[in-house]
Amino acid sequence: MKQLTALITGASEGLGKSFAIEWAQRGLNLVLVALPNSGLDYLANYLRVNFNAKVFCIEIDLTESTSANQIFEQLKVMEIEINVLINNAGLGNWSWFEDKNTDFYRTQIELNITNTVLLTRLFLNHIDKAKASYILNVGSLGGHFIVPKKQVYGATKSFIGYFTRCLQLELSGTNVHISLLSPGGINTKPELLVMNHTLKGFAKATILEADYVAKTAIDGMFKGKKEIIPGFANRFLVLLDKIIPTFLKEIIIRRKLRTILTA
Amino acid sequence: MEAINHKYLRVLVTGASGFIGRKLCLSLAETGHDVVALCRDTEHPFLIRHRNIHFVKGDILEVKSLAKAMKGCAQVYHTAAMAKMWCKNETDFYDVNVTGTANVLSCALKSGVDRVVHTSTCGVWGPTLNLPVSENDPRAVGFPISYERTKYLAELEVKAFVQKGLDVVIVNPSRVYGDGPITDSNTVSKMVTGYIGGTWHFIPGDGKAIANYAFVDDVVEGHIAAMQHGRNGERYILGGEDVSFNGFFNTLKQITGKKRSLYKIPVSIIKAYSMLEFLKNRLFKLTPFFLPEFADRLKCNQQYCSNKAIAELNYRITPFAVGLGKTVNHFQRN
Repeated sequence: MKQLTALITGASEGLGKSFAIEWAQRGLNLVLVALPNSGLDYLANYLRVNFNAKVFCIEIDLTESTSANQIFEQLKVMEIEINVLINNAGLGNWSWFEDKNTDFYRTQIELNITNTVLLTRLFLNHIDKAKASYILNVGSLGGHFIVPKKQVYGATKSFIGYFTRCLQLELSGTNVHISLLSPGGINTKPELLVMNHTLKGFAKATILEADYVAKTAIDGMFKGKKEIIPGFANRFLVLLDKIIPTFLKEIIIRRKLRTILTA
Repeated sequence: MEAINHKYLRVLVTGASGFIGRKLCLSLAETGHDVVALCRDTEHPFLIRHRNIHFVKGDILEVKSLAKAMKGCAQVYHTAAMAKMWCKNETDFYDVNVTGTANVLSCALKSGVDRVVHTSTCGVWGPTLNLPVSENDPRAVGFPISYERTKYLAELEVKAFVQKGLDVVIVNPSRVYGDGPITDSNTVSKMVTGYIGGTWHFIPGDGKAIANYAFVDDVVEGHIAAMQHGRNGERYILGGEDVSFNGFFNTLKQITGKKRSLYKIPVSIIKAYSMLEFLKNRLFKLTPFFLPEFADRLKCNQQYCSNKAIAELNYRITPFAVGLGKTVNHFQRN
């Protein structure tokens, strides 16, 4: 496993940072991708010094139309061969549809969908198909459920779910292993740190720490799991979703929506 | 010379009854500063009396009292925080550490304070995965501990106010020990007095977990040096020596000459016990003695590197044996 090198997008903060730390702790090499001035060099240095990992950084805005091509061109120039792609970069929202402008949604879709598709496409060109390689696409438990205030985000993650499952069929029997990660809430951004800690009971049990999610996801990916859902409470939710009839789910969501609307 | 320079320089210290704040007030007063000490209770037993220290009743959550106390102050040391392991009201952590800090900074910006030194903690980095942590390292794990989470959020408030033009230097003390009151927020005092009194009988896990211990006098000096020489918007780790639990108790044995039988308790048993404490707290609203998130932490090292403060602030580290000796002396006298 020593020769494995992973490219992680959105690596400077949150789940991406945890992926990078988990990966380096396993003695594997990294290409970290994040926005310029996001502290990527500090993280890279930390990983080099603490875990003796080979770490390369690419600072780029993934919403630009040429960025996916630029990344793979840069890999070629640096003569780096990657065999793992972790499509982690994404933009979330928790707001009514009319509260965000068109620029926001364009950026969200470009980042969550277009960028994931293009990087995956170029990755399949890049790899040596005789050797094992892995793709880990970060979806969301929100991709399974209809969640108000997550209309576009949830839809982009549903896209990632469909895309990943379809590629699993297309690539079955090859050396390319592709997994879908469907996490529930994760304590990452400051706003989420505040909001998640006001939750109680079962809702609180669905929230996980990023380091735990990263570890579970990488373990699952190497085991060749098709979908990885970290956390018992979240797996329980998905199970409930499968056995509860649609009309009942609709009632539950509407009741939930009413409490949100009156809040 | 020092005393003349600082004469009549008015400084505000929040958290004047706290472990760091009380000795900081004294040190500033002794060097000729005119110290305004903000406290919720001006008769608090932990306050140190001095002719240069003026106690002002107030609360960082009451903006009016804060503005009044800050009037005419050139510098502010914001040491006040909710540093306990557990609060009856969970939102107290956010209110005191985040909202309280925002109040202090906003007030300082309005009243034209020259510089604020904000007391943070090495807890914003938490456990170390391999080598001692320094200022630019990322936090490697999540924030299950409320104190650490809210102190991290407080640092984000500081960053926002630095953007607005306020001059703030952050200092990050590690586990502070020394002569001072025995409170919920100071675990070292509890271990030392427990050992002396013969009531402390255990070592967590194999005793090899390492933590960083900062002597309170060094930390106080570090605060004052940060005010004088720190760079705006920068963070400085104010630590001490990295010592394991075994090393800690061995040093304590040598200093006190007392040999106590200490039992190594596996972290898994401590964790199980902490779960019971957690349930006790949830079901009966009783004060927990220990919580699961802290049991998990007992397995981790918490090592921090003070080189930046040593280079830029002339920070000095009292050797652990010397500092612990002074601490033991203090508790044996009292």
